[in-house]
Amino acid sequence: MIRAVIADDEVLARQKLRQLLREESDIEIVGESATALETIELVRAANPELLFLDIQMPGMDGFDVVGTLSGQPAGPVPRIIFTTAYDQYAVRAFEVNAVDYLLKPFTHERLRTAIQRVREQPAVQQSPGPANGGASAVNLYTNRIIFKSRGRILFLPVSDIRWIGAEGNYVRLCTASETHLLRETMAHLQDRLDPRGFLRVHRSFIVNLKYVKEVRREANGDSVVILDNGQKVAMGRSYRASLGDRLHRS
Amino acid sequence: MPSPGNVGVESSTSAIAHEPLRRSVMTHPVVFVAAFTLLGELFALQEWLNIHRSGYRIGPAIVFASWGAQYFLWGVMAWVLWRLFRPFIQKANAFQILTIVLPVSLATCFIEEMIWVVFFPRIPIDHARMPYWERMIFNYKADLVESMAIFWSAFIFFRGFGYYQQLREKENVAARLEAQLANAQIAALRMQLNPHFLFNTMNSISSLMRTDVEAADHMLEQMSSLLRMTLERRDVQLIPLHDEIEFIETYLAMQDRRYAGRVNRRLSVDPELHDALIPAMILQPIVENAYAHGLSKLDRGGELTVEVSLKGDRVLACVTNSGLGLAAGPDDAAAGHGVGLTNVRNRLRLHYGEDCSFSIDELDPAHVQVSISFPLQLAESALETVTRFGV
Repeated sequence: MIRAVIADDEVLARQKLRQLLREESDIEIVGESATALETIELVRAANPELLFLDIQMPGMDGFDVVGTLSGQPAGPVPRIIFTTAYDQYAVRAFEVNAVDYLLKPFTHERLRTAIQRVREQPAVQQSPGPANGGASAVNLYTNRIIFKSRGRILFLPVSDIRWIGAEGNYVRLCTASETHLLRETMAHLQDRLDPRGFLRVHRSFIVNLKYVKEVRREANGDSVVILDNGQKVAMGRSYRASLGDRLHRS
Repeated sequence: MPSPGNVGVESSTSAIAHEPLRRSVMTHPVVFVAAFTLLGELFALQEWLNIHRSGYRIGPAIVFASWGAQYFLWGVMAWVLWRLFRPFIQKANAFQILTIVLPVSLATCFIEEMIWVVFFPRIPIDHARMPYWERMIFNYKADLVESMAIFWSAFIFFRGFGYYQQLREKENVAARLEAQLANAQIAALRMQLNPHFLFNTMNSISSLMRTDVEAADHMLEQMSSLLRMTLERRDVQLIPLHDEIEFIETYLAMQDRRYAGRVNRRLSVDPELHDALIPAMILQPIVENAYAHGLSKLDRGGELTVEVSLKGDRVLACVTNSGLGLAAGPDDAAAGHGVGLTNVRNRLRLHYGEDCSFSIDELDPAHVQVSISFPLQLAESALETVTRFGV
C-alpha cells in the first residue's frame, strides 16, 4: 500500500486527485493540505510515501516544502509528483528527483502513468538532491530524460523508449504510443544510455534490447531488427556482428 | 476554395514598397531641379560680385543665365539618372563604381557641356569667337573639375538618400510584421475562442463528459497544450519548423477526435528541416482551412497530407486535402475562410518579399493543395531547451 498526501490550495484540484486516486487500489490518501506549512506538518506526522505537491501555494511554494522536508534529519522524505499549471519549474522539479511533473489540466491516463512510475521506481534516493550531484553519478547512465514535447513536460524513463532514430540535428524517441523529437545527437545520446540495454544497430538507429524480438536477414541481403510489436528497424552491416554476440550471450 | 482576396493582397504589399518614395519631397523632380538651379544662381551671384569688384564690365544676365542653365541641366540629368538607375546607384560596389560610374560621370559631363555650349556661343567671353567643337572642348576642360564635383556630389547624395530610404522601408516592414504577428496570435487564440473552434470543441467535451469522460479529459489537455505553445512563442516571428509541426500535430490529434476516424492523415517532414525557420503559425491556418472547407464536407474517407520538403535551397510546404474541390464552395469566402489564407499570404510577402510563393491548386476534382515556398534559413543555435538527463 502506498500512503499518499495531496497538497494543493484549490479544493477542486484536491477533489480531482482524490476521485481519480480512488480507482487505484494500492493508494491510500492519508491526508490533504492547502498550504506549505500544513503540508510540512502533515508529512512529518503521517509520514507518507508519496506526495502530490502543487507548486504555487500561499506563503511558501512547493520547492520550499521539499527543501524543508529534505533538510530535516528524521524520517524518510516522500517521493513527489508535482501538479502545477506552470511549466517553467519542470527542470527544477527534475533536479530534486521528483517522480513526475503533471501539468494541469492533466488526464487520468497521465496520472496513471505517474503512479505507475512510483510503483516501478524503487525509492533509490532517500533524500532529494541534485540529480547529477555526486561525482559517482557522472559515471552512471541516464535512467530518465526530461523534455518538452507538444506543450507537455515528460519525465521519460529510458526503459519506455523502444527505439531511437536520427533526424538531422534531432533524434526521434519512439515509445509504445508516441514519438518525440529531441534536439540531440546520436553519439551523445548513445553515451548516456546503458550499453547493456541499448544498442546502436545502424548509423541512424538505436534499439532498446528489451523490445527486440529477432534479427532477420531480408531477401535482398539487408538485416532488420524486429521489435516485439512487429516494427522493423534497419540494421547496418557493421553493427550486425555486435548484436549477434549480445543476443547469444543473453 | 476560391482564391482569396487577390486584389487586396497585391495592393497592400505594393503600397509598402513605394510609400516612402512618394512621400519624400526632396526627390520630387520640380523641387530637386529647382534646388539645383538655385544653387547655380548662388554661384552666379558670387561670380558676378567678384567680376564686378575686379572692375570688369559684364552684364549680370549672361552670368546668371549661364550658371543657372548649367545647374538646371545638371539637376535634370542627375534626376533622370536617379530615376532610371536607382537600384544600381544604391547597390553598386567599389569595382562597379570604378568601372561603370566613373566612365559614366565623364560622359555625363561631356553631354551636359554639349547641350550647354549650344546656348552660350559667347562664352568664353574673353576669347575670339570659336567654332562649336572648339568651344565645346575648351569649356569641357575648363569645367571638368567642377562638373565632376557636381556629378559625384549628386551620386553621394542619392546613395545616402537610398540608404536612408532603405532604413525607413525596413523599419516600416518591421512595424507591419509586428502588427501582423500580433494579429496572427490573436487569430490563433481566436481559433480557440471563436465559434469555429472553441464552441465546437467545448460542445464535444460537453458531449463526451456524459459518454466518455477520459476522452473529454484528453481533449481538455490538448486544448491546454495548444494554448501553452501559442503563449510560449510570445512575439517571436520565425520559429524552427519543429515547433510549428508540434503545434500542428496537437491540432491534428484534436481534430482526429472530432472527426472520429473520418480523416486519414499523414505528416511528413524532411529530417534536415527540423531547424528550418518558418514564420510562426503559418501552417496552422492552412490546415484549419483544409478541414473547414474540404474535409468537413466528407462523411468518411477524408485524406489530409502535410508535407514539408527541401527544393534546392527553398522550403516547400504542401497541405493536400480531399473534399469537393474548389468549385464546390465559391461562397465560402463570405464565411470568413479567406481571412486565414490571406493572412498567410500577407505574412509570407512581408517576411520574404518577392522571394516566396503561395498557391492554391486543384490537383483533381476531389483534391485541393495549398503550397507555400520560401528560402531556406536555419535556426542559428539551439533554442533554450528543458531537456536534461538524469540518473
